[in-house]
Amino acid sequence: MNEIIATNGLSKSYDGKPALIGLDLAVPRGSICGFLGRNGAGKTTTLKLLLGMLRRDAGTIRLFGEPVDSEASSIAVRQRTAFVSEDKELYPFMTVNQTIRFTRPFFPAWRRDLEEKYLDLFQLPKKKLVPQLSKGMRTQLMLLLAMARGAELLMMDEPTSGLDPSLTEEVLQALADLAASDGTTIFFSSHQLAEVEQLCDRVCLIDRGQAVIAGVLDDLKAEYRRILLVFDAEPPRELAGLPGVDHLRRRGRTASLLAHVDVDAVVERAREFGPCSVEVRPVTLKELFLDHVRGE
Amino acid sequence: MMLWYKAWLETRWRFAFLVGSILLVWIAPLWLPSTGVTPGMIASRMWVALQLESVLLSILAAIYLAGAGINTQTMYSATSGFHGSMLFTLSLPVSRARLLVARAGLGALETCGLVVLMAGYMLFLKPGAVSALQAFDYMVRAVVCAMAVYALSVLLACVLDEMWQFTGACILWVGFFLLQSKVNMVSQISPLRGMSLNCYPLTAPMPWAPVVASAVLAGVLLYASVLVLQRKEY
Amino acid sequence: MNLRINFSSGVPIYQQLMEQIKHAVDTGAIKGGEQLPTIRKIAEDLAMNPNTVARAYRELEREGFIEVRHGSGAYVGMPSTSSAKVAGIRKAAEVLRPAMERGLAIGLSESELRRVFEDELARLQENAAAARRRT
Repeated sequence: MNEIIATNGLSKSYDGKPALIGLDLAVPRGSICGFLGRNGAGKTTTLKLLLGMLRRDAGTIRLFGEPVDSEASSIAVRQRTAFVSEDKELYPFMTVNQTIRFTRPFFPAWRRDLEEKYLDLFQLPKKKLVPQLSKGMRTQLMLLLAMARGAELLMMDEPTSGLDPSLTEEVLQALADLAASDGTTIFFSSHQLAEVEQLCDRVCLIDRGQAVIAGVLDDLKAEYRRILLVFDAEPPRELAGLPGVDHLRRRGRTASLLAHVDVDAVVERAREFGPCSVEVRPVTLKELFLDHVRGE
Repeated sequence: MMLWYKAWLETRWRFAFLVGSILLVWIAPLWLPSTGVTPGMIASRMWVALQLESVLLSILAAIYLAGAGINTQTMYSATSGFHGSMLFTLSLPVSRARLLVARAGLGALETCGLVVLMAGYMLFLKPGAVSALQAFDYMVRAVVCAMAVYALSVLLACVLDEMWQFTGACILWVGFFLLQSKVNMVSQISPLRGMSLNCYPLTAPMPWAPVVASAVLAGVLLYASVLVLQRKEY
Repeated sequence: MNLRINFSSGVPIYQQLMEQIKHAVDTGAIKGGEQLPTIRKIAEDLAMNPNTVARAYRELEREGFIEVRHGSGAYVGMPSTSSAKVAGIRKAAEVLRPAMERGLAIGLSESELRRVFEDELARLQENAAAARRRT
C-alpha cells in the first residue's frame, strides 16, 4: 500500500451548495503534501471528510489502503492518524498535563520518549490551563499530542496560522524532523506558500471543489515556465490558444504566458508573432497558485 | 476511563453549585425569624415548599448537567461551521456512542446523586415514621422519574446548542405540566408526578405506571440521542 | 557547508541543493572524499522536506558526483575532475568581472545587470536548442 490517502470523485454539498465536486487526491506514504486553495475552496471540508466528521455525498475514500465507509473503519483510521485543527482548540478545563494524560490511553503506541522530548523542547508549562496558553503554545501542545501518539499520518489545517516567524520555523523544523526520523506522512492545508515550498515535496491545489494541479512540487516547477513577451503593439489574443499555454495575461504591450511541458515549442510558436523580446523564467508556487485560481 | 474523567472535569463545578444550593436550602431554616413559629410549623412549611422545589430542582439539575459538554464544546459560526475542541474529541479513535455514554452517563450519576440527596432530606423532614421499604420505594421512583427528565435534556443537547437546550427543555416541561393537568392519560404516567410526594405520598404503594413509563421514556430518548449523534455532521 | 536555498525562486529546490553542493565542492568548501551531512541534518537545519534532500542526493549519485555508502553516509567523489572545474570557474570569473564592472560603470543597477545577463543566457540556450533541432 503505497498511498496513504486516496480519494476518487469525492463530493460533498452543504444545503445544495457544492463544496467538493469530484476531488481526486493521492498522497503517497512518507511524503509531505501541501494542500492549497483559496478560502472556501474545500480544504477543511476535505480534511473533515477524511476524519469522519462529515459524511460524503459521493466518491470513495481510502486511507492506509482500506476503504473508509463506516464508523468502525473511520475509528481504525483515527487510531493511526493525528489531526491538528485550525483554531487549535483543546479542552478549556484541563491543564497541559491533564490533556496529555487524557489523550495517552487512547493510543497504545504512545511514545513516552517523544512526549518528554517535546515537552522539554517546547518548554510547555505543565500546570497551566489550556486557555492560559498562547496560540503558539497550544499549537505546540497539539503537535506534541499528534507526534507522541505514534501516528503514521499527520493531518493539519493551517498549522502555522497565527504564529510568529520564529515559532513558525520551530514548527516546520519539528515537522521536517518527524518526517525524517519516523517516515510519517504529513498532509496539511496552508495559505503560507513559502512554507509549502520549503517543506513539501508534493502539492495539491484545489479550486472550486476540484483538484487543479497536483504532483511533485519540484517536477511541477520544472514543467512550468513563464514566458514574457514584449510587442510593438497590443499582444495578440491568439497567444492564449497556443498548445501548452495554461494562462495568458496582457498588460500594455507585454504578454505573460504560463507555459506547460514543451516550453521550447511554445517559445518558437510565440516568436512567430514577432515580439521585440522574449524572456523565459522559472515559476514560483505563488504564480502557479494565482494563475490557476484566477481563472482564464 | 478518560472520557468519564473528562466529563467529571467538565461538570464538577455545576454539580458543586447544585449541591451547594441544596445544602443552602437545608440550613436556611436556621435563619428564619423565630417569632411565634414552632419548629413543627417550619418543618411543614419547608415540607410543602420542598415538594414543589424538588420536582423543579430535579428538572433544573437534569437540564443543567445534561447540557454541559455533549455539544457545548463547539462554537457555531455561520462561515466556518463547527469548531472548537469538539473537533479534537471527534479526531480521537472513539465511537460517537461511547462519547455520549461517558458524558451522559456521568451527568446521570450526578443527577441521581442530587435526587438521592433531596429525597433523603425529605424523608428526614417527614413528620412521622416511615418504613425502610417505603423510603426505598420513594428513592427508586424519584431517581427513575428524574432519569426521564434527564434523558430528554440529553437529546435536546445533541440537537441544539447550549443556550437553546436549556430554554427548550424548560418550555417543553412547562408544556408537559399543563398537558398533564388536562389529559388524564398523561398524568397517569407523568414522570413529574411520579417524583412528587404530593401526588403519591410515602405511604401509598409504588406507582408503577409513571415509573415504568419513565424508565421506557428514558431508554428511548437516550437511544435516540445516540442515533442523532451518530448522524451528526461537524 | 553554507547552504542557501531560495524557496520561493521557482527553481526546483532539489536542483538548487545540487547546485549548492557542487559549488561547495568546486570552491573547495568541501573536499573530494569528505562526508556530506546526513539527509536528516540538512532537512532539520533548513526546515525542509527530507524527501527533497534525498532526491538531490540520489541525482548527485546518478551523475557520479557523490557516492552513497550503506550504513556510512554520502561522500563526495574523488577530485579527478574537480580541480579542472575549480580552475574553469576561476577563469570564467576573471573573464566576466571586467564586463560586469563596465556594466555597473555605465550606470546599470544590479538587477538590470542581472536581467541582461539572464536575457543573454536565455538567448544562448534557445540558440543551442534551435541548433539541436535543426540537426
